[in-house]
Amino acid sequence: MQSTDTEFLIPTSVSEALRNIAKEDAIFLGGGTSTALLYKTRMIEPARVVWLGNVGELKGMFASPTEVKIGSMVTMAEIAADREIARLLPGVSSAAGVIGNARVRAMATLGGALAHADPRQDLPPALIAVDAKVSVRGGSSSREINLSDFYEGFLETVLAPDELITEVTIPIIPNRHSSYLRYTPTSEGDYPTVGAGASLTFNGDGKSISTAKLALCGVGAVPIVSSEANLVLAGTTGDDSVLRRAADMVREAVDPQDDERGSADYKRDMAVVFAYRALKACLVS
Amino acid sequence: MNINFTLNGKGMELDVDPMALALDVIRGLSLTGTKEGCGVGVCGACTIMVNGSPVSSCICLVGTLVDKDVWTIEGLAEKMPELIDSFVEHEGMQCGICTPGQIVAAASIDSVGASSPEEVKKYMAGNLCRCTGYQTILSAVEDHVAVN
Amino acid sequence: MSERRIDAVAKATGAAKYTADVVLDGMAHVAVNRSDFPSALIVKIDTSVAEKVEGVLGVFTAKDLPVAVNLYGRRVFDVPILVNERVRRVGDPVAAVVATTREIAEAAAELIEVTYKEMPAITTAHEALESNAQLIHDRPWEYKGAVVTPETGRNIQSLETHGSREAAEAALRSAVHIIDETYTTPGDHQGYIEPQACIADYSADGSLRVWATNKSPYRLRDVLSSVFGLDPKRVEVMPTILGGDFGGKGAPGEVPLCTALSILTGRPIKMVLRYSEDLLSTDGRHASEIRVRLGIDNEGKLVGGIAEALLDGGAYAGFKPVNTVNLHGIVDAAIAYRIPEFFVESKIVYTNNQPKGHMRAPGSPQAAFAFESAIDELGRRSGIGPIKIREINLLSEGDVNPYGDTWLEYRGKEVLSLATSQPNILDIPKGWLYGEGVALYARSMAAVPKTSLRLLRGQGGKVIAEVPIPENGAGGQTVVREMIRSGLGLNSDQIEVKQVSTSLLPTDAGVGGSRVSLGVTVAVADAIKLWKEMPPDQDAVEVTTNEGSDGPSGAYSAQLARVAVDPATGQLKVLEIISAVDVAEIVNSKAHQMQIDGGTVMGFGFGVMEDLLEDAGQPWALSMGEFKLPNVADIPKLSTVLLHGGKGVGPNNIKAVGELTNCPTGAAIANAVADATGVRIRQLPVKAEAIYWAMKEGGTK
Repeated sequence: MQSTDTEFLIPTSVSEALRNIAKEDAIFLGGGTSTALLYKTRMIEPARVVWLGNVGELKGMFASPTEVKIGSMVTMAEIAADREIARLLPGVSSAAGVIGNARVRAMATLGGALAHADPRQDLPPALIAVDAKVSVRGGSSSREINLSDFYEGFLETVLAPDELITEVTIPIIPNRHSSYLRYTPTSEGDYPTVGAGASLTFNGDGKSISTAKLALCGVGAVPIVSSEANLVLAGTTGDDSVLRRAADMVREAVDPQDDERGSADYKRDMAVVFAYRALKACLVS
Repeated sequence: MNINFTLNGKGMELDVDPMALALDVIRGLSLTGTKEGCGVGVCGACTIMVNGSPVSSCICLVGTLVDKDVWTIEGLAEKMPELIDSFVEHEGMQCGICTPGQIVAAASIDSVGASSPEEVKKYMAGNLCRCTGYQTILSAVEDHVAVN
Repeated sequence: MSERRIDAVAKATGAAKYTADVVLDGMAHVAVNRSDFPSALIVKIDTSVAEKVEGVLGVFTAKDLPVAVNLYGRRVFDVPILVNERVRRVGDPVAAVVATTREIAEAAAELIEVTYKEMPAITTAHEALESNAQLIHDRPWEYKGAVVTPETGRNIQSLETHGSREAAEAALRSAVHIIDETYTTPGDHQGYIEPQACIADYSADGSLRVWATNKSPYRLRDVLSSVFGLDPKRVEVMPTILGGDFGGKGAPGEVPLCTALSILTGRPIKMVLRYSEDLLSTDGRHASEIRVRLGIDNEGKLVGGIAEALLDGGAYAGFKPVNTVNLHGIVDAAIAYRIPEFFVESKIVYTNNQPKGHMRAPGSPQAAFAFESAIDELGRRSGIGPIKIREINLLSEGDVNPYGDTWLEYRGKEVLSLATSQPNILDIPKGWLYGEGVALYARSMAAVPKTSLRLLRGQGGKVIAEVPIPENGAGGQTVVREMIRSGLGLNSDQIEVKQVSTSLLPTDAGVGGSRVSLGVTVAVADAIKLWKEMPPDQDAVEVTTNEGSDGPSGAYSAQLARVAVDPATGQLKVLEIISAVDVAEIVNSKAHQMQIDGGTVMGFGFGVMEDLLEDAGQPWALSMGEFKLPNVADIPKLSTVLLHGGKGVGPNNIKAVGELTNCPTGAAIANAVADATGVRIRQLPVKAEAIYWAMKEGGTK
């Protein structure tokens, strides 16, 4: 039986939120789009909900020439609407702008999305491709985690129950071009069959690649990072055949499942296609 | 728990379970223009406006509305009669069950600054209609965007 | 007529009241515990924990029901109100909780412990026909309204044929070119946005009031009176607005259960299905497998054809309303063509899947996909061409169709020519393959449906029109007002149109069959005639239509789909659908256009995305996150060309439109994909993945 006496706390600072969470069966609540669904279908029955909507320090968005910082309670709509982010991080901007529908984008928050760890989400590959780091605070300590090391399994992260994502930091690197592409063959607004985030950083000559990053969603229990892409592309000028060879490396890296958005074999082929297209988009952007 | 927010321009203080869904709380106030459709935030029939943005009231815990400015179709119909007129004149409806949600979404379109026909379509893609084929709804929303 | 629709302001402002918005004093709520198994015996139901939940007023099982026979249906009474012994599908209702709130009822329903003994399940139509297949119903011919006999065959719900198989086979043997292919379509759901809901309010004096998302209030009244042994005069189905129907809201739904619970508890009982429950437990469109054989002579003329359809009717036949318990759209598959020898068989079987019923032009979207794909394939393979082969074989002046009917006119060639001659101003994505495909659909309209209507004098010279059917969105009530406005020379604000309960008018056949406008126009025209002759001391006139026949008048729709396919992924973009539609007079041009556009979008959804994902005895697409419906960003450019000047029926000279444009779309898209890529997709929805693998394998048109 669903209790109607779940405690609902509204802290106004991170330290208060961390004190509030120190209780059995307490959970943080961000935008609530996933939590409300889980709660109303009686999948979760928290004793206490700590809503972060009034914690002002989690809502900042800040861009400097060297880094972008986005607070964990910033919404998808706010990220998508920000012109600096669109200019500096076009992949992140476009990923935030295609998630779900306009209402989901207005409600869902960056921290909530990352912590939910649904492997079909668009943002993680876009953020991993630009070396995003997650700042986390717990009751007694704080730490910074590379987003590429953040996911442990389906709906599982390295976060402890009393830890809170406070912000995400993305370094701004000169001569880096980034992109995110998703493939939704059935309907706009569906989860992607596959999504690919990529970045290419060029040497001072503007032609040869110093570093390549590639990450994918929808093709494994966690976001898939292709470290092979860098091995193939670094030092090259990103000729079409090299891009294709780099993209082809994801075939081995992904671990897709059969479902209504495609068979595992199809998703593997599409991962290669969209890895190539995401990398190529970094050349022309 | 006492929850304070503004509903259709008037201050509200409700003693409700903060874990109740905004949809059920609002409909319980006899504001039944907000409709329950899919119940999972996809169809848009339950759209309300919160601080100017469109929100699925079926997946919105009412506790998260504390101190917010909330509008439903009933309030927006009085506040934005020209938008209602636009849907009526274009007949942007048939069965009408999705219509309040379509109109609340249209009323909130400034939150994303959609203006081109493609941006309007992308924004309105979250509100399903099974009857009309969308053409008259699009015309009504495009008129509203053009005027504002 | 350009006046705004009658319900526009109420719907736009949120004032319009739907079934879920009705609140009665003392009302209780119900939630149902449903079977998790497609086929099982109930060993034990333990309700003790659920009964103790605070707010629960009672927990009920089949043995508690106040009925002589625990079965209902639209024609065949084979659907249990609550299952007593054997569940036949996932979602079968096993026990019901009545509680003070919906949430308490739902939570308590999950606490009911049901012990099952699993039985073998039949989850495909083919398995149902095997000679040793488990019988889904032991003696289906004994059900009230059954159309099968012990001789019909194992697990058959309905078997209908037309023509001679032997003659058609002989004709095919004489053909120069033959096509013989099989086409499949999945289980689908009507996709109305308003989930099914109802309230039953039984009084100790034996009267029953019902509010329900039901489009056939008079039939609902008759079913309830039959099931519960109530005087039909004391069963009153109240007026309501329907939040979409598309065929899904004709069955009694949960009204028999709520009526039983109202009788048992003495309270008004309300049930609003969660959408996931609606997707699981209501009656969608039959999955189909249709084998089509067509043969032509050396001039391209069809000499014979055979269409054999196997349809998955699911666990119960009770959701199909017509006398044949079949889908007339299947049998009518060849209605537009001249085929000297045509044989069609429509076999609907019982399985342990979700029962299926009617959805917008029952059987026609499936049949049109199969037949219009097959004739397209034959046209391409024979070298005659897909358009030419249709031109050669479409019926024309003086012809009799394969069913022996002569229509007032045949305009298939004209709509085909219109659809295929429109300018192309599309931007084709760079590197994508472009193709065009055509498909055609026709239906006849003849019988005037039974309906009734009353005109009353209101205050200050007002005329009040009382109608028997709910407004489902198509605009029937606006048609009534517009006819009275022009017939009596009044202004819109002098006319009020309202639905009244089943106690206040004699009869109606219900919304459906693209016939609302016809019935309404006949009834209103009759009423206006009487009204003009009405003596001054009389305040009202009432009319009941006779089931007459005017036609038959055929209505045609031809669609051209323009598509692009990404060769690297198989991704399909339907860029434009042109609908050429055959019309006579149009009563309300905006409502008419929305039937065309809404139908096309529904046909598009059926063509490329809708699928209940039925497998192993249950639909897996149980939320709108998985059961995708087309949104405004998904849909192609919609273009309409009207072929005016047709011969219609009724006093307003009209043709059917509500079930025209949703039927050919799937075939038009598949035909366009074949044109673009050379590969033929014979399974709906047309998925990018299917195109991708077919292109890898290489294919022929």
